[in-house]
Parts: sequence; structure tokens; C-alpha cells
Amino acid sequence: MNFVQDPALWYGVAGTCAAAVYVARSRITVRDLRERNRLLAEDVRMRDEEIDNVVRVLLPALIETGDRIRGSLLRHEQLRGTPYAQGIETVVGMFTTAVEDARDRADHSAKNALKAAMRTLQALAGEQQVAISDMQNNYVDAQLLQDLLAIDHMNSQFGRRAQVIAALCGGWTGRQRAAAPLYDVMRGAKGRIRDYLRVEIRMQSNVAVIGRAVEPVALAVAELLDNAASYSPPHTTVEINFQTVPNGVCVMVDDAGVGMHEEARQSAARFLGATEPVGITRLGHPPQFGFPVIGMLAAQYGFTVSVDTRSPYGGMRAVVMLPSELLTTAVDADPAPAAAPRRVARVSRAAVAEAEPVAAAPAAAPAAASAPAAGAAAPDGELPQRRRRAPRPVERTQAAAPTETPDRSDAETAGLMGAFLRGTRSGRVPETDDKGQESR
Amino acid sequence: MTDDPAAKSDAADLVRPYVITRGRGHPTREGLDLVSLVIALPGDESPHILDPESTRLLALCRGGILSVAEVAGHLALPIGVVKVLLSDLMDTGLVATRRPIPAAELPKTRLLQEVLDGLARL
Repeated sequence: MNFVQDPALWYGVAGTCAAAVYVARSRITVRDLRERNRLLAEDVRMRDEEIDNVVRVLLPALIETGDRIRGSLLRHEQLRGTPYAQGIETVVGMFTTAVEDARDRADHSAKNALKAAMRTLQALAGEQQVAISDMQNNYVDAQLLQDLLAIDHMNSQFGRRAQVIAALCGGWTGRQRAAAPLYDVMRGAKGRIRDYLRVEIRMQSNVAVIGRAVEPVALAVAELLDNAASYSPPHTTVEINFQTVPNGVCVMVDDAGVGMHEEARQSAARFLGATEPVGITRLGHPPQFGFPVIGMLAAQYGFTVSVDTRSPYGGMRAVVMLPSELLTTAVDADPAPAAAPRRVARVSRAAVAEAEPVAAAPAAAPAAASAPAAGAAAPDGELPQRRRRAPRPVERTQAAAPTETPDRSDAETAGLMGAFLRGTRSGRVPETDDKGQESR
Repeated sequence: MTDDPAAKSDAADLVRPYVITRGRGHPTREGLDLVSLVIALPGDESPHILDPESTRLLALCRGGILSVAEVAGHLALPIGVVKVLLSDLMDTGLVATRRPIPAAELPKTRLLQEVLDGLARL
């Protein structure tokens, strides 16, 4: 008999085994539970962080920039696909939409208000320009003219500012014009900036810009010129050159500044390539209108502007590419005797054509005769109109202007004086004949 | 050029007078007035780069003598601007000006003198 047969032993063993198993199992359970607890705590922490990210980072960024958030909304990618992550995406999405809507509404009403205000200012600048023109025409005093020219210049700059803001707000760029020579469009652009005397147009061109595009091109080039002049030293010139290319003409604006740094260049390129209207609220403080408005005008009227080249003078080169659809043959390239403001050329080509072949003095007659028939060439209001006189020999001797051309030899001068005296004497002869010898 | 004010200002307000004269209101020459006569001098203009206005002015005057007022009328520019352009062209030797024919004024003075004498004799 041994203790093996003692049932108590077996109970003990069985009990111990059961206890061991139980202990082991509960150990495992506890470990599992701990692990699970840890995971859950981790999950909660991640979710806390996510919501914190939404509240502290994502939404403020949205409010700040108004731009849709690019990239992932989640900090912890393992949450992707969970209802929680979808919830965050929905919240951020709704918030983005709300911000964009609010911004669009604000932009829209700001644009409308600005557009209306600018229209008034543009109209006033236009009226003032007419008044200045009238004064320039009515008064001949040089000092007065000098002052009027200065006022005129300021008025043009003022008008341009209003025009730029109006254009950016989708408004009126200015009156529809007749087609104008490219050279005149460039001079028009040049006259609208402060430092216009520094701008040199290096060549003339025989192409013209179609009426619809005159103002937009002038405005865009004026902005480029202003930019070029502001970012180059005051004593340097800003040059305009033209280059004919297969499908149009390139206008190149070169300055001798320091060029643009990379960031500014990229920002400019972004504005210049923009295809959709630029929000007025996104132009910075103070707002930068230049490149956004150039980009808008270019997209709207079908020309392209780039600023990614360096100028041979070290500064920046801006290139405006005007496609042939915006160009036409010159309207006013011909300085024929009809001399004609370009409206005449446009309204009555027949009249001009008739006047052209006879370039000498008698040309005045057909031109004068045919132009009023076309109803467009009567010269300016009250100014006297008179037939031209044919040149007479005495005029050819230049006798009347001995002082105006100083570099002449003594012999020439003497000859001229002689001619002058003969001329005056011959002019007086009929008088002495009429009245007898008393006046000699 | 017509009585339509919009049409009239169309050409003029693209290129403003101060651009044409490069901001100058004072001509470099004194003594030009409305009735001064403008004569294009024979000469080659090609070495000079002329603005379209100056080119047109020269072409106008090549056709015959015109007064400053007439030139301004044809070019649709203010008189003062034309004077500045003319002075420049005179400086480059492409144009000369002269006073209107003085003989025309002589009989007037004499006539007045005669009237005065006649009155004095009364």
C-alpha cells in the first residue's frame, strides 16, 4: 500500500494542476488585458492628438490661408479608414467649404464695391484728362503748359491705378479704342508710370494692336515698366525692344536692376500663369496688384507674359508675347501729307489714298477737298485752316533763319545775308511802286 | 478731329503730350508764335530717330510752308507741344522757321501815320 493509491494525493495533484492552469490562464488573460488596455490607451492618445491637430493646426491654417489643405489630414496613418478618421475628414471638409464660401462671398462683395468705386474714379480721371487737354489746347504760355504736363502725368498715373484695381475686380479696363500702332501703345504705357523719362523705346514697329487689346496691353506693359523702374537704380534706363516671332510680336522690357529673387519670381510666375480670377483678399498687405492684374489681363485677352529671363543688363527681362490675332497692320505708319490723325485713316481710307500719291505741295488741295466729304478730317475746331503755299525760291535759301543754323562758313553766311536782303527788297518793291518813291 | 468729343480724344489720350515732349513745356527756341512759318530744310533725317509726331511734322512741312498754328491743327497737338517739337527739329537742323512776311505790315503803319498826319492837319 503506498501513498500512490491515496486518493487524496490525486486530488491534490489534480487540484494543483488545475490551479496551475488557472494561474497560467489568468496570467495570460491579465497580459492580454494589459496589452489591450495599452492599445486602447494608445488609441485614445492618438485620437486626442488627432483632434488636437485639427483644432490647433489644421483649422487655424485654413482660416489663415483659406487654401484647401494639401496632403494628409492625419498624423497617425494607422487611423486611416476608421470612422474616426472619416469624421475628421468630414469636419475639415465642411470647414474648408465654409471658409471658401465666406471668402468667396467677401471677395465678391469687396470686388463689387471696389469696381463701383473705381469706375467713378476712372470716369473722373477721364474727365480730368479731357479738361487738361482742353487747357493744353487753349493756352499757349510755356510755363502754364509745363505745369499742365506735370498735372497730366499725375492724372495718368492716378487713372492707371484705378484702372488696375478695376481690371483686377473684373471691371472696365477703359474705353474701347481704335487700333493703334504698337509704338503708340508702348508710349501710352510708358506715360502712365512715375519714372516714364527713364523708359526708352528702342525701335519703332510697323504693326498695330487691334482696338480691343490696346488698353489691356498698355495696362499690362505699364505694370511691367513700373515694376522694372522701381526695382532698378534711378539713373538706369528701362528699355523696350520688339522682336517679331513666327506667330506674333514679342515686347521685351529690360531693366538694369538686381533681378528678382527666386521666391518672388515663382510667385510672379504663379500669378502670370493663373487661369482663374485672383481673389482680392489674397494679394497681401499692402496688396500687390502688379503681377496678378497682368496675369488676369493676359489670360483674358490672349497674350502671354513671362518674367523668367535675365536681362542682358543684369536685371530682369519681361517678355510680352502678342499673338498675331491681337495685331493688325499699322493704321498710322504713313506720315503722308494728309497727316492725318489716325481716325481719318480709319474712317476714310479713300481720302488718304487719294492724297498719298501726290506728296508735294498741291496735295493739300485734294486732301482738304476729299477729307471733309468723309466727315472726319476737319481740323480741330477753331484752329485756322488755310491752303499751303508752294515753296518759293527765297525760302530755299534758308535766308530767313541765319541764326538757327550756326555752323556755317562766313562766306555762306554772307551769301545768306545777301539773299535775305534781296528777298526783303523784292518783297518791298510793289509797295514803292504803289506809293511812289517816298518810302525809300 | 470731329465734333464727337470721344472720337477727338481717342488718339490723343493714348499718347499724352508730356510723353511726346518728354516732359518739357518750354521750347528750346524763343520767338516761335502761332504765325511763325515752318520750313522743312532739305536734309537727311535718317540719322535722327524721330518720334512719329516729328516725322509727320516734317512730312507736312515738306509739302509746303505752314504756320505753327496750322501744323498744330494738322497734328492735333497743343500749340505748346508743337513748339517744343519744332525747336527740337530746328536744333537738329531739319526745320527752319521765320516770321510772317513783314512787308505786309508796312503799309499799315504808314497808313496810320498818314491818318495821324491828316488828323493833325485838321
